[in-house]
Amino acid sequence: MMINYLVFLLSGRLFGVKLDGAIEILPWRPSRRVPLAYSYVEGLLDYRGVVYPVFNIAQQLGMVKPGPIGPTAAESVGTRSGQSIILLEVNKNPFGIVVDAVVKMAPLKSPVTGVVKPQGVDPKFVQGFAYEDDREIMILDGERLLHAG
Amino acid sequence: MAEGTRYLILSLQGEGYAIPISRLLEITVPRDIQKDKGLSEVFEGKCEFRGRFVPVLSLKKIFNLSGNKGTALLMVQNAKGMMGLLVDEVTEIFDTTQKPAPMPAGVLNPGTHCYGGILRHRDSLVLLLNEDGLLP
Repeated sequence: MMINYLVFLLSGRLFGVKLDGAIEILPWRPSRRVPLAYSYVEGLLDYRGVVYPVFNIAQQLGMVKPGPIGPTAAESVGTRSGQSIILLEVNKNPFGIVVDAVVKMAPLKSPVTGVVKPQGVDPKFVQGFAYEDDREIMILDGERLLHAG
Repeated sequence: MAEGTRYLILSLQGEGYAIPISRLLEITVPRDIQKDKGLSEVFEGKCEFRGRFVPVLSLKKIFNLSGNKGTALLMVQNAKGMMGLLVDEVTEIFDTTQKPAPMPAGVLNPGTHCYGGILRHRDSLVLLLNEDGLLP
């Protein structure tokens, strides 16, 4: 069965999330910090009347160490040229994820699960792998991203 | 016409927070804050207010924010009594009929109760403090 995914780049690797949960793609912008939030929460974004928490998923996935985001990043907010925020909705919960670049929307075969172990990524967030032109695309579980804490 | 709620808007590192005016007793300058070894380390100390000693908290310390302790002291009533809150500055009174939006899922540990919601104010988001949940 083919499913539509939004494919994006993060630290040079391809990832995908289901397209039906994607609401919009925005250029990266600073969000409203929330002291005492989880370390991977960049903050809150007010967009078209909806408040989205914005997650640094590279950190959530364990690809980078906690960086200058969240309440400890007092003076660190600068430009993050090229990065994007994908706004998603999972079970009526809106949230955004920061990605390096959105690559495309693509219909992909149902992800292969349990065969390949994700390298360098916390496996609890990975639903499986899809392949296109011999390129591996790690399919993420939106529900897990939302309830990572 | 719907009756509004009045909030005091305060600032920490340039970002806005709100507290209901109904919980505010006084705005003053921080002075004569005495250290008290009997208080938990989250308190800056205590100060005399209306004939009683009241514990004083630094909001920035609670929120792990850097910088000085604050230049304004809010005397606030919470469920357990009175307390002083050190903040960077007080900016204005905000009268609104908005119902605070809840904090979205996935942001805070369920054990964190320091916010009462989110308000929109002058094109930005203001975090509503829950004065009863500030202490860990």
